[in-house]
Amino acid sequence: MPIEIPKDKWPGSIRKVTLGATAAEGGTRAKTVTVGGQATMPYLHFEAPTPNQPVVAIEIKSRKPEDWSPLLAEVWGEAMADPAKWAKAAEAAGADLIVLALTLADTPDDAVKAVKSVLGATGLPVIVWGPGQAEKDNELLVPVAEAAKGEKLVLGLCEDKNYRTIVATAMANGHLIQCRTPMDVNLAKQLNILITDMGLPADRILMDPTTGALGYGIEYGYSVMERLRLAALQGDSMTQMPLIVTPGFEAWKAKESKVGEGVPAAWGNWKERAVHWETLTAAALMESGADILILRHPESVKRIKAAISELVTA
Amino acid sequence: MTNHTITFTLADSKTVTVQARTGSLLSEAARQAGVEIGQPCGGQGRCGRCLVQVTAGPVRRRSTLRLANEDIQQGFALACQTVIEGDAAVFVPPQEKIERRLTTDRVAAEVSVPAGYEYSHAQTVRRVHLTLKSPSMDDQTDDWSRLQTALRTQLGINDTGISLGLMQKISAILREGEWRVTAILATMNPETPETSPTRIVALQPGHVDEYSPLWGIAVDIGTTTVSLWLVDLVSGQARAQVAEYNGQIARGEDVISRIVYAGKDGGADEMRSLVLGTINGLLETACKRVKASPQEVVKAAISGNSTMIHLLLGIPAGNIRLSPFITAVNHPPLLTGIETGLAIATDAIVDCLPGVASYVGADITAGVLSSGLNNAEEVTLFLDVGTNGETVLGNRDWLVTCACSAGPAFEGAGVIHGMRATAGAIEEVWINSETYEPGLRVIGGGKPKGICGSGLISLLAEMLLTGILDKGGNVALTVNSKRVREGDHGPEYVVVWGAETETGQDIVISHVDVDNLMRAKAAIYAGFTMLAQQVDFKLEDVHKILIGGSFGKYINVEKAVQIGLLPDVPWERFEFLGNTSVRGAYYALLDWRERENIRQIASRMTYIELSADNTFYDAFMSAMFLPHTDMDKFPSVSAALNKSS
Amino acid sequence: MALSGIQIYKLLPQTNCKECGFPTCLAFAMKLAAKQVELSACPYVTEAAQKQLAESAAPPIRLVTLKAAGGEAKAGNEVVMFRHEKTFYNRPGLFVRVKASEGAEAIGKKVAEADAYKVNYVGLDFTLDGFAVEADGGDFAGAVKAVRGASKRPLILIGKDPAALEPGLQALTGETPLLYAANASNWEAMADLAKKYTAALVVSGETPDALADLTQKIQAKGVEDMVLDPGGKNMSQMLTAWTQLRRLALKSNFRPLGYPIIAFPCDAKDEGVAAAQAIAKYAGFVVLSEFKPEAIYPLLVLRQNIYTDPQKPIQVTPGIYEINQPKPESPVLVTTNFSITYFAVANEVEGSGLPAWLVVCDAEGMSVLTAWAAGKFDAERIAKTIKGFDVASKVSKKRIVLPGHVAVLSGELEAELPDWEIKVGPREAVDIPAFYKQVLM
Repeated sequence: MPIEIPKDKWPGSIRKVTLGATAAEGGTRAKTVTVGGQATMPYLHFEAPTPNQPVVAIEIKSRKPEDWSPLLAEVWGEAMADPAKWAKAAEAAGADLIVLALTLADTPDDAVKAVKSVLGATGLPVIVWGPGQAEKDNELLVPVAEAAKGEKLVLGLCEDKNYRTIVATAMANGHLIQCRTPMDVNLAKQLNILITDMGLPADRILMDPTTGALGYGIEYGYSVMERLRLAALQGDSMTQMPLIVTPGFEAWKAKESKVGEGVPAAWGNWKERAVHWETLTAAALMESGADILILRHPESVKRIKAAISELVTA
Repeated sequence: MTNHTITFTLADSKTVTVQARTGSLLSEAARQAGVEIGQPCGGQGRCGRCLVQVTAGPVRRRSTLRLANEDIQQGFALACQTVIEGDAAVFVPPQEKIERRLTTDRVAAEVSVPAGYEYSHAQTVRRVHLTLKSPSMDDQTDDWSRLQTALRTQLGINDTGISLGLMQKISAILREGEWRVTAILATMNPETPETSPTRIVALQPGHVDEYSPLWGIAVDIGTTTVSLWLVDLVSGQARAQVAEYNGQIARGEDVISRIVYAGKDGGADEMRSLVLGTINGLLETACKRVKASPQEVVKAAISGNSTMIHLLLGIPAGNIRLSPFITAVNHPPLLTGIETGLAIATDAIVDCLPGVASYVGADITAGVLSSGLNNAEEVTLFLDVGTNGETVLGNRDWLVTCACSAGPAFEGAGVIHGMRATAGAIEEVWINSETYEPGLRVIGGGKPKGICGSGLISLLAEMLLTGILDKGGNVALTVNSKRVREGDHGPEYVVVWGAETETGQDIVISHVDVDNLMRAKAAIYAGFTMLAQQVDFKLEDVHKILIGGSFGKYINVEKAVQIGLLPDVPWERFEFLGNTSVRGAYYALLDWRERENIRQIASRMTYIELSADNTFYDAFMSAMFLPHTDMDKFPSVSAALNKSS
Repeated sequence: MALSGIQIYKLLPQTNCKECGFPTCLAFAMKLAAKQVELSACPYVTEAAQKQLAESAAPPIRLVTLKAAGGEAKAGNEVVMFRHEKTFYNRPGLFVRVKASEGAEAIGKKVAEADAYKVNYVGLDFTLDGFAVEADGGDFAGAVKAVRGASKRPLILIGKDPAALEPGLQALTGETPLLYAANASNWEAMADLAKKYTAALVVSGETPDALADLTQKIQAKGVEDMVLDPGGKNMSQMLTAWTQLRRLALKSNFRPLGYPIIAFPCDAKDEGVAAAQAIAKYAGFVVLSEFKPEAIYPLLVLRQNIYTDPQKPIQVTPGIYEINQPKPESPVLVTTNFSITYFAVANEVEGSGLPAWLVVCDAEGMSVLTAWAAGKFDAERIAKTIKGFDVASKVSKKRIVLPGHVAVLSGELEAELPDWEIKVGPREAVDIPAFYKQVLM
């Protein structure tokens, strides 16, 4: 008698979320991107198919970042000084989505201009991040949301103490939000509840549980993601949001990626190590249920996209 | 549109009649008729305060949430949820009666003398009358030997001890009573007085009335609240019950702060005298009530957590706090009044009840005894909602316990306008969901002074249901009411305007208060859920949930469930016991067999350390939400929230 | 199936005699359930209970240990599918493969380099766990000897032909190597070899049925230590096979598949990514096709991360953290190394844009209040941290902000750090920005 393979039958699934809007849908995107819909733990095709595969976003900034690793400056070159050019380069490098990070130096006008130029340069759906300070985020994201009404941008980052304004403007202008909580299953869920209680439909929320980089706490992020995914499959509607993660940001903060000098010889070749660091950070998150992986180096993008296509073919 | 005749009959048999249209509500008809029907929830069918009895005529009940089947059969209906469909006669019961009908209120179990209490069998102290032969030139036996001889010949007691203090008074007392004397004797085991040593606790000249009171005290030293019962050991009756905040609060709200403080120079002495001050003050108050003197108290049974007992006895408590958490003593020996510094009889027996470990003290062993958990057949949960949220799960076969630091919020401390459950405390709040105006119940019925634990629970629940609080515990400043405002401590809700309070100041609840209350309830909830998880037991399968704590007379279970302090299981499973620790001390004070039961409970209780890993933190974070991050665990609250929004 | 504490308790004498060293029988039962104590500590347990408890205690995945003079590589004894459910216990061994056809000299050189590889991560030294030698023609015994000449670590011998493998085994007397692999056609000879040379044996099969059939036959021949090789040509097939085997062992408690798994990530397109998947998803031994420090280091770190006990408090490394480019006059904030506490503080300050030095003390991963309660966050420790990281050299204005929850420490800290100004900050991190603006600016 053949062995019966134990299969999990889950009552729940990840919510389908669509980013971006085409002209027919009230935006200007060439195509939209849909994530979510899975009804198993990642890539277990013997239980259920993967309806929407994870996608890769490339992070660009509204101004040339001075604190990025020279390895990144080397690959992106001139494009880094112009968000429109950078977005085009990112699309060429295989990005499914563009993340545009605004900076503290931007005025609301600058922010709107940067977003518009990126929307003009690429047909991909766009995620826009504020610079990460509550007041400044609100100051920049509200005009951006209004100026790009109907584009179904993703606005971020909504956090525990700073979500009301961003959520309100996302609701008013038909955008999505990325909500971030610090590596805790409960906090992630709580923020989702508070935001949906405000009236934003659950299918316009992406959750970012904060992951840490390889060697810098990734195990916590890894387990938080697995737990959120399990809870979602068990039918908990407030954890069924697709997971958006930032392995590029995390990995390139790490010394292992960022610097090439004054490090142990046992770390090996800098450039290869740096890409490995970002790729393996992303790979681990991919295994634990990431739906959107935001990366920085084109080589990592290539490798992760290849791994995703290998994983989604049964 | 048809008009119908509605006749209201009031409690004093007066009747009022009005005309009402088909489809209108009984509450509207009552208002027209000028009949007072309370609707503190704003007519949403939430509070059940508008209960009336329809004695005749067709009506339709929109909601029967508050009503049991037999209530409906008897014609009970909620005026705000009842639609008029024809001529009807309605009886309006008095408000006081309604409140006691509500299924969610849990009234503290009455204290009564344990069934079958017999002083002569159960008590370890007893009063005996002795008549001594007067001395003469022929009989120059010394006074003490003479007393011993009388004990031996008249009572068969051979081995008797006495303190120096009493020895100093013996001659005078014997002569004052003209060789008739009343002795208070303490025996460790009244069943075998021959083999058990006896001590003289007090001597009085003459023969004192056999049935006159013999005083003992049962004391619970809580971290926040100290409770004392003055008990007549002869009848077994608790003749006075008093409570006060522990004087040590000023030196720290939790046991850890107290331990740290006591570790400083002179700190231990100060802690000791502070708590003695509180107990002795309570003792005096209680004695005054029954016109007795504290010096007449001959026995004390003292319960409290291990830290409180250490601090009372002046025993260094430092190791309680540090890993591996070892107490100096779990089971102190019998002590005397003078040794402990209690203002009772110098030679009175002072019995500090046994605990289990650093964080499971006599308050829990005594609590288990008085809750009856140790004899339960089915698995039962016992919660002590106090500063240390202790939980015991088990039955007569096994008992597991844990403790978590909840803080004093539910005892009314650490909350700006919190207070103990005494006269002037708001013990229940209803908020009208349209006007955001509150309805209050105040202990004693006078002007409010503050809010006690049960009041805080219902206030929090009402704020959540009416949207003044979001589920994260944030006060929504967007609510359209003057009562919601930015205060000194962040956003706040005004419960009572200054004009209506005892002090003339506004009674408010601030964001910080809400946070403290949420932490307290989250710690307690996490504690018992973790405990159940540790032994693989499902909370929904718990047969009964026994609640102890200083909530005054009532706790509203529904409100406690709504804020996620108690689990969402059928209301009838809850029992509210009041202060279980002092009650356990009372039983131990009266009956040596109960005292022995406490010892056995202590020896078989298994303590589970929760802070050892992340799972407690996880459970705590999960409970730091109203009612809980996992709403599926609170189906009745989900339903109530959906209805109110 | 594993029994719960209460279930075990019912099998114990329930006398609370304390002779086992625990205060009650239930306390002992719970330790037994957590596998933190041996049943033999109870002097009064009945034979019947002993038998019942022994059955429930058997591990669902057999522990297989490869042994050599230079160390051991263990795999198995795992009890959960997801690390948060308890923990993953035995970190998968990373083995680098050489081929006999490369020649003894090249092998010796390659192995010597890889064997010497050592890298430090947060105070831990990591190395490779061993080598795999493939019999692909040429002098296999010579190749094995060349490896042994350069490394004393455990070995895996790879080949389809038992006769070709035997000379290699002969060179490894006294060791427990891993033999790769028994399949439907060679299993008998392989089992004989494994038995003869006390080697552990990999069983290859493409389906769980094929694997179970082989492990049962091989076990009947007296070989106990087996390792499963379900094959897989890409990451998807590998993940499916590994997940199914783990589930069959843990959830179905299916003994014929209760063995660790060996993974060959080089069969997928991207060996590094596939190796990461093997580490996260249940491999017990991972064979890598080449040795490159820049590729090995991230894998060693990932393995360490995934196999960290998730029940231990989440910690950040103690030290001085710079937030918003602090200047010498910026204030020094102090907190503990519990990660949630750290994040709460760091995020609030970062979000406010106000510059600060954040000094993280080693409080054994506890939050401020818990650490203070346990005596792990006191004036002495804070002062030691301030001095240890030489915070004074970074600032011109010596100001320390204590968390409000430990306001009581301010006096003692003043005594410990006489030339510093001690300020008591708010209790909650949320209130830091307002406090900063009011008090520190």
